[in-house]
Amino acid sequence: MTRRGTSSPSLDATAPVRAVSVREAADELHRRSVQAFGRSLHIRTVDTGSCGACEAELRLLSSPRYDLHRLGLFFAPAPRHADCLMVTGPGTFAMDHALMTTYEAMPDPKIVVAVGACPMGGVFGPDEYTHSDLSAQLPVDVYIPGCPPSPLALLQGLLLALDRSQARRHGQPELGA
Amino acid sequence: MTANRESELDRLLRELPGTVGPTSQAGVIRCNCGAAEMLAAVRSLVAVSGRLADMFAVPVAPSKDHSGSLQRVTVFALDRLGVYVQLSSPITDGATEAFTTVIPGAYLEECEIFELWGVVPEGGTPLNRVLLPPSRETSGPLRGSRHRARSAWAPTEVRAPQVVQGEAFEFPVGPVRGAAQESLYLGLVTTGEELLDAYLALFHKHRGIEHRLVGLAPEQALFLVERCEGQGAVGNALAFARAVEAAIGLAVSEPAARTRALALEMERLYNHVASVAAVCQATGLVVGQAAMEILLEDCLRLNATALGHRYLFNVVAVGGVQHGCDVAALEASLAGICDRFSDSLAALLATNSFVDRLENAGIVSAAQATRLGLVGPIARAAALDLDSRRDHPWNGHYLGLGVATEPDGDVLARLRVASKEVAETERLVRHWLRSSELLDISDMPGQPLGGPFETGPAEGLGWCESPRGEALAWVRVAGGRVGAARLRPASVRNWRAFDDALRARNVFTDVAIVEASFWLTVAGFAR
Ligand code: SF4
Repeated sequence: MTRRGTSSPSLDATAPVRAVSVREAADELHRRSVQAFGRSLHIRTVDTGSCGACEAELRLLSSPRYDLHRLGLFFAPAPRHADCLMVTGPGTFAMDHALMTTYEAMPDPKIVVAVGACPMGGVFGPDEYTHSDLSAQLPVDVYIPGCPPSPLALLQGLLLALDRSQARRHGQPELGA
Repeated sequence: MTANRESELDRLLRELPGTVGPTSQAGVIRCNCGAAEMLAAVRSLVAVSGRLADMFAVPVAPSKDHSGSLQRVTVFALDRLGVYVQLSSPITDGATEAFTTVIPGAYLEECEIFELWGVVPEGGTPLNRVLLPPSRETSGPLRGSRHRARSAWAPTEVRAPQVVQGEAFEFPVGPVRGAAQESLYLGLVTTGEELLDAYLALFHKHRGIEHRLVGLAPEQALFLVERCEGQGAVGNALAFARAVEAAIGLAVSEPAARTRALALEMERLYNHVASVAAVCQATGLVVGQAAMEILLEDCLRLNATALGHRYLFNVVAVGGVQHGCDVAALEASLAGICDRFSDSLAALLATNSFVDRLENAGIVSAAQATRLGLVGPIARAAALDLDSRRDHPWNGHYLGLGVATEPDGDVLARLRVASKEVAETERLVRHWLRSSELLDISDMPGQPLGGPFETGPAEGLGWCESPRGEALAWVRVAGGRVGAARLRPASVRNWRAFDDALRARNVFTDVAIVEASFWLTVAGFAR
C-alpha cells in the first residue's frame, strides 16, 4: 500500500481482529468521508476475474461485525451514484468493456481502489487472458494488498483513498505519491 | 471392497472395450481405447450406473505451444464400486464422436473441448460458448494466439431488453452485478413476474489457469490452483496435490493427511454458513442474515487462528501440509459456532414467511441431477445419495460418515442438507480432536518436496469432497514439472443445473434465492 507510517490497526489478514480496532478505523473513515465528500461514500465494485475471496471479504464489510452502513458507507446499486470504484481480479480481457463502461458512468470526482494482490499483478501475469495490473487500464488511487485483504485492511484502504481524493481536490501533493 | 463388488468390477473390466492398463493408484482404473471403441466403452460404463465425472482433451506429449496430437480423457465415477475409470483415446482429424447422445451431461465438456482445441464432436447437438468469450477464436486459445497482440475486448453484441415472444422480454443482468458479486451474465426471459427462461454466460472471468500451470513445479502450481476458486481453496488444492502425489508416488504422513481432512471440513463449515447467510439476504430476512454473518466471521477468524488463513490458503502442500493446526483454538471455539448455527437455523426454519419463500423454489429433480451429473449438496438435496468421502475414500478418516439427503430438490431441501452437513462436520472434527493425531501448529509442515523428480511422464487423478461437491484434478508430471493439468471444481459440474432450476415454475424474485442456495462460484467454473 502506498502509505506513510500510521497508527492505524494492523493489516495482517491472519490476525484476529480486535473490536476496538474496527471501531477506531471505522470512526476515522466516517470523519474523513464527510470531510472529502461532504456526505456518505458510495462504492461500486467490479470483479474482473477474482477467485471470489476478495468479494467475500468485501461483502463482509456490511456484516454486523463491521457494519459500515452506520458510518455512511454504502454499496451503490449503479455506477451513476458511486464515488469509489473497487476493482478485484487480474483484469480479464472479457471484462474490459464492462469495467470501462462502469468507470465512465461514474461522476467526478471518483476514486479507484485496487483490491487484493490480483490487480497489483501479484497472482496472474500479463498474457492473452489478463492485463494483470489494473493501472494498465485505469488511474489507480490506492492498492490494498492482501490475498484477500481482510475487511479491516479494506477499511484502511478506503481511508487512504479518501486522503488522496481530498488532497487532489485541494491541489495538495498526494500522500505516498 | 466386498467380494461381490470385486467380482462385479472384474466382470466390467473384462467386458470393457480397450486395454485396461496397469495402475499404481488405488481407486483408479485406467483404460486406453481406440477412437472407434470409445462410445461402446462409455455405454458399458453408463450401463453399470457410471457417472460422468469429467471429460477433457490434452496433448499426448507435453508441449508448451500445444502443437502435436491430442487425446480425449473421460473420467467415470463408479460410486457403488468405489472406483474412478479413466478412459483415454486418441483424437484423430480434429473430431470425436459426440457423447451427448448417450450422456446429455457431457454437453458442456464437448463445448469446452471445441473452444480450447477446435475438436468437433460429431453427431451431437449444436455447440454453445461456455468458456471463452465469443470474440476469441475457437481453434484453441493456445494455438496461434500466444503471440497475438493483446487488445481490449469489446463485445460483438450488447444484449439489451428485447421482446422475445408475445409479452415476454429478455432482462439482462450482468456481467457487473450487485455489491461484491462475481461477474456473470444472466439473461432472464420474463413477462414481468413469471420467469419463462434463463440464459447463463460464465466466460467473463476465464483466466486460463490450466494453461498457466504447464511448466510450473507442482508446488508453484498449487499457488494458482488455490486461487482458482478462493472459497474452495482447500478442496481444489487437495485434489490437485493428491493428483501430483499419485503421479510421482509420494506418500503423505498420517498426521498430515488428517490435518488436510480437518482443513477441508473447516472449509465446508464456513461455506455452509455463508450459503445460509446468502439465502437470508436474498429473501430479505435481515435478522437471519446478520446472525449468520456473525457466525461466518467467527468461522473465518477461527480458520485464521487454527490454520493460518481466513480462507485456508497455504494449508495444503504437495506431499503434506504447509501449516499445522492450533488444536487448542479449535477445541475452544468449534462447538460454540456449531451450536449457534443450529439454534439460528432452527429459528429460521420455524419462520413461516421465510420457509414459504424457499419451498418449491428452484427445484432440481433427481432425474435432472442424474442426467446432468450433479454433485455435492445440490445433488444430495435432490435425493442422490452421493458423497466422495464415503464412496471414494482416500483415507480412513471418514468411517461411519452420515450422508444427508433430502427428497424435494428445492431451496429448502438444500438448506436442510447444509444444516445436517454442519452437524456431521462438527461430529467428525470433534472425533478427530479426541482420537487422532493432528499436526499441531508447533510441528514442522509436511515433507518438503524436492525436485526435479526423476520420474518419467506419469499421470495422477486426485479428488475430494469440497464444499460444493466432488472436486477433481488430473495432472501429468514430467521432469518435475506439470506437463498438462485439468482442474474440475464442483462448480464446473453444478452450474449446468442453474438455468434448469430457474425455469422450474419460479418468479423473478426467486432468482437471487436460487443462486444463493446453489452457492456456486463463477471463479471455479471460469478457471
Ligand atoms: S487477490 Fe487473492 S483473494 Fe483476491 S481475488 Fe486475487 S487471488 Fe483471490
